[in-house]
Amino acid sequence: MDVKADHVIDARNSYCPGPLMEMIKAYKQAKVGEVISVYSTDAGTKKDAPAWIQKAGQELIGVFDRDGYYEIVMRKVK
Amino acid sequence: MPARVLILGDGDAGTIMANKLRFHTSRKDVEITVVGNSKNHYFKPDGVHISFNMLDYKKSVKPTEFLFNYGVNYIADTVTAIDVANHGVKTAGGKNMDYDYLIIATGDRFTPEDIPGYSESARHFYNLDHALELQKELKAFRGGKIVIGQASIPIMCPPAPYEFTFLLDEYLNFHGLRDKTEIHYVYPINSVFTIPNVADYISKKMEERGIITHTLFNVDSIDPKNKKVQSLEGESIDYDLLVMIPPHRGQKVISDSGLADDGGYVTSSHD
Repeated sequence: MDVKADHVIDARNSYCPGPLMEMIKAYKQAKVGEVISVYSTDAGTKKDAPAWIQKAGQELIGVFDRDGYYEIVMRKVK
Repeated sequence: MPARVLILGDGDAGTIMANKLRFHTSRKDVEITVVGNSKNHYFKPDGVHISFNMLDYKKSVKPTEFLFNYGVNYIADTVTAIDVANHGVKTAGGKNMDYDYLIIATGDRFTPEDIPGYSESARHFYNLDHALELQKELKAFRGGKIVIGQASIPIMCPPAPYEFTFLLDEYLNFHGLRDKTEIHYVYPINSVFTIPNVADYISKKMEERGIITHTLFNVDSIDPKNKKVQSLEGESIDYDLLVMIPPHRGQKVISDSGLADDGGYVTSSHD
């Protein structure tokens, strides 16, 4: 991934719905065009966060497997 | 010298903690003090039943001091600052209290101001005044569209909104109003509850009862004039009666004392 995140949320070891709520909180604070990256170890968030991004009409840049966690990257487009 | 345990908060958590700790320790070893500012102790879980007039609210209110066991010191005061580094607490009444162990049980506060339009239109049952207001609204209700949900996560007592929803379905059936009413249940995540097996169960039950669900619905604003609730995700639902649990934050003194961000919740540790 060569996109630089403007907001990085480390929600590792936090359970559903913690990481999703953290992402939504960051989304509310972000400006249009900014990139938000969420680190999570919660399995449910891997499904729920992209679903939220799609429903909210935002851009999912990707879900990336990292060392012992995964990273969800989105861009606020509106 | 006994160890000094200071408990901040005289709600359910602070009260139970004080009484349990008193039961398991001797006064010779442990001194327990509770500081809180509730004039009366209202048992909040009763709110859902009070709103349907299933319970006399007078049974849910007790004088706060009455609930503490012998050997618990109770101080009616408001905490204004917590200094963890120096093991000290200040109160509005001018007290400076020292402690060896601190238990924070100050709970949540409602922040309706976080949602534009909330205060003008939404009903809920999370405190006594609002539960009684909602009781009146339900008595006067003759059919229409009821939207139920929570404005944010976390909230106190997470099952209460769905418990209310099922009781509402029963209540409307009993009063012959169910076929004149649409019930809509909104929830912030991609499911109707945070615990997957509970969510599966209640989702089926809601479907069986004709309760319409909207997931990934985070309340953004409420338009009281046009009676519409708008989600952050772009969905809008109109309503005749809106039962929406208000946004919650932790107490301001927690943030002001540097123990939390503006959300007001102390970060827990796995260590």
